Amino acid sequence: MPTNEDLAALLPRVALGDRAAFAQVYRATCAHLLGLAFRILNNRERAEEVLQEAFVNVWHSAGGFNASVASPMTWLINIVRNKAIDALRSGKAERASTFALDEDALAVAADEAQQPQALLDESLTRLRINGCMGELGASQRQALALAYYRGMVHTEIADALRVPLGTAKAWVRRGLDKLRACLEAAGLRPDPLT
Amino acid sequence: MNYLLPERLDRLAREYALGTLAGPARRRFERLLRQTPVAKLAVGAWQERLAGLAGTVPAMQPSESVWRALEQRLFTSRAAPEGPLQWLRGLLSARALGGVLAGAFVCALLLRLQPGLIGMEPQSEVLPQSYVGLLLDAAGKPTVLASSKRHGRVMTVKLLQPVDIPAGSVAQLWALPADGSAAFPVGVVPGSGTASVALADTSEKLFFKVSRLAVSIEAAPAKPGDKPSRDFVLSGHCVKLW
Repeated sequence: MPTNEDLAALLPRVALGDRAAFAQVYRATCAHLLGLAFRILNNRERAEEVLQEAFVNVWHSAGGFNASVASPMTWLINIVRNKAIDALRSGKAERASTFALDEDALAVAADEAQQPQALLDESLTRLRINGCMGELGASQRQALALAYYRGMVHTEIADALRVPLGTAKAWVRRGLDKLRACLEAAGLRPDPLT
Repeated sequence: MNYLLPERLDRLAREYALGTLAGPARRRFERLLRQTPVAKLAVGAWQERLAGLAGTVPAMQPSESVWRALEQRLFTSRAAPEGPLQWLRGLLSARALGGVLAGAFVCALLLRLQPGLIGMEPQSEVLPQSYVGLLLDAAGKPTVLASSKRHGRVMTVKLLQPVDIPAGSVAQLWALPADGSAAFPVGVVPGSGTASVALADTSEKLFFKVSRLAVSIEAAPAKPGDKPSRDFVLSGHCVKLW
């Protein structure tokens, strides 16, 4: 994994049309970013398409990268996640118009509910906020994990966890509130708006 | 709806960053995001918080075909490895060196927004080598955008605001060489809209040593060898866009 400092030095060069810098950014981050896209799309081929689209975007908009708003890795993750989420949802719309019932997708969603939870727990441990986040119920952490790692919307989270929509929304909201509070308590991410 | 109330903005920003904001609401918020720095900051803060969750996702090496496809899409059919902002950076540094005035910057932006002005191929992301002039009126307002490809024989002229041309007169465009030698006529420009002006030779031969363009109101179109008979009503720098 490259440091944010390395990437912060490379991205301005990409904005100036430096192909070698672009290749370095790609080589250094593509595996991590493909992993993220794959978690959301659950399909390697589509995840690779998203990765490609994302890097076309990186080449064209590296000039828009602003180190005072986001770290380079956050900026890249954000491009990939947004593209993966868009691809996921447009793919769902396509499937909905071709198949009356999409039981496979629902089955995958239910089966994999545990895996995002494990990723979240490991992340919280690495960030050393697992104790603080442990004050949340397991269901609330799970709702947050499904949204982040699987790109699920509230209705899908409600279906996967078999709870009413209002409950799923409240769990996600509380999960995010707690995440912010725990990060701030740990002094990790000051809020630029306050 | 006022999206910018702090509580509402924070709710939208975090739902957007997490991904739970969906459908038309997501698209609407993306539009707001492009226009509103405070919304961008709010989203940025949440993305930064959430990015901490990405580190544990197992890496997955993409197949080599992804990189090859990227190279093909971004770098083939181009003469030079140019990025989207290279020409702009070049122009900015040229300005910093004292070579070119703000006019070049303005007209380059205009060209970027409306590449059709100089007949640029729509599939190309790189501006072709061109001569570009932005002529200002006496008040300093951009009035005429003139451009021609380096080896082309047509100059495209666009009026950014109407020019008052008295009946029976023409607006004559002149080229002024950098060495102070006599101005020579380029063609006649309209009072408004756009026009294509046929050039006597290629732009490269005509404008290689030209540093300024200017317009005077004349009784008739100037012929080769004619000199301006009136004061210039518009003038500006002529720059090489490469």
